[in-house]
Amino acid sequence: MKKFFSDIKKYFKYIIASTKAELNSEVANSYLGWLWWLLNPLFFMLIYWFISVIVFRTKQDYFAAFVFIGISIWDFFNHVVNVSPKLIANNKDIVSKVYVPKYILLIQKICVNFFKMLISLLLVAIMMALYNVNISLRILNFIPIIFVLVIVTFAVASLLLHFGVFVEDLVNITNVLLRLVFYLSGIFYMVSTRIPAPYNRYLLWCNPIAYFIQSSRDCLLYNKAIDYRILFVWLIIGTIVSIIGIKTITKYENSYVKVIK
Amino acid sequence: MKNNKNIAISVKNLGLSYRDIKKFSIRKTLFSREKSTLYTALKDISFEIPKGQIVGICGKNGSGKSTLLRALAGIFSADKGTIDLHNNTISLLSIGVGFQKKLTGHDNIYLSGMLLGFSKEQIDQKYQEIVDFSELGDFINKPVASYSSGMYSKLAFSITAILETDIILIDEVLSVGDVAFKEKSYNKMKELISDENRTVLIVSHSSKTLIDLCDRVIWIHDGLVKEDGSPTEVVEHYENFIKNQL
Repeated sequence: MKKFFSDIKKYFKYIIASTKAELNSEVANSYLGWLWWLLNPLFFMLIYWFISVIVFRTKQDYFAAFVFIGISIWDFFNHVVNVSPKLIANNKDIVSKVYVPKYILLIQKICVNFFKMLISLLLVAIMMALYNVNISLRILNFIPIIFVLVIVTFAVASLLLHFGVFVEDLVNITNVLLRLVFYLSGIFYMVSTRIPAPYNRYLLWCNPIAYFIQSSRDCLLYNKAIDYRILFVWLIIGTIVSIIGIKTITKYENSYVKVIK
Repeated sequence: MKNNKNIAISVKNLGLSYRDIKKFSIRKTLFSREKSTLYTALKDISFEIPKGQIVGICGKNGSGKSTLLRALAGIFSADKGTIDLHNNTISLLSIGVGFQKKLTGHDNIYLSGMLLGFSKEQIDQKYQEIVDFSELGDFINKPVASYSSGMYSKLAFSITAILETDIILIDEVLSVGDVAFKEKSYNKMKELISDENRTVLIVSHSSKTLIDLCDRVIWIHDGLVKEDGSPTEVVEHYENFIKNQL
């Protein structure tokens, strides 16, 4: 673990520089550039709005902001988890030429997606202003939620990074699982009201993403208190799994290159 | 070999094998029982290289030369034995050094430099020199994916040649680019080598390179050191050996 923190310090500048470079290249390589970071969630929101409000006749206060919070959080988790099994293989050129602690690559991906999440959260803020949402100090609860979200994401992704090197078709499995989690996370519906009684609570306990999304909405839009016990449990679980992930990566990272050829 | 302070690399009983960690897919593990293979690349290699020495490494394909360089660069972990670099910085120069293809040459210079352990300021200082040497001109601000293979290797060579680490490992790179660039990189190589503090390891199949540039040649055969000595002798023995095999 000591190595982990000294590595972060040592490669901090690299992480920042490569994050910037990656974001820049995404901008440079497409016509609409960074506008896509806004347009992407915006279009998805329109689709969900169509499905929920027009097709299923859902009534939900602040619906646009409601969906947007869900998408922002989901996109972050989804993108990081999705790339992690192939992360080493995708960076084959670097990994096979110079030593770099492999979790640095993961942290870099997290930074890239975190930045994108911040941008779409900025849109949420604008929508909240337009809707004239009542804001209280409860909004500060959002910070620990995001913090735990990042830890849990890192935990899941670090394990996938390790096993993804050895298991070729892990990507297929994660794709299916991610799809499942997507529908169970209440991105375009409210878990606590739309799912019948005992199950909605089970879902919020067992699926961290559903819990993160629901509590973010509670504190940002509906001025409700959040359940800190669940948040704390996920913090502990996330931290333990992260430590296991980091230890596994440190132990096996020099064998990765022998496998990806 | 001389006194201990001047040793740049010590390798003791290095052994390295590609174990049964081949990629597998879930389908394969469930439905077939392939036998695991164990391939030993390096069996038992020991040598010491004093600071400032230029060492050539020869051997036929698959004898473990590249594996040795990668182990020295810290990319592979040794299965047995030790490698001690005595706190020197090290870089591996081989065809197609690690670039992120979507990024521009400019970004890649900074990122590779940082991975080699240089600070942004140090790279700033050398940046222009790298661009000039690589002869890329305006292409430096284009994504590396759009480069020709020659430009790619030129940039790779320039980065490692100009950002000077204490130890440079060269993997058959002297055949990079067109004739003019080859000449230029050969001269740059000589210039780098003339620095007394720089330790260089060159893997090459070219007898000319080995005899011209190196102070010492190590011949690796089947994961073992077969001969270690003055370039002219070792290269001669090596060439005879190859001829006899034909």
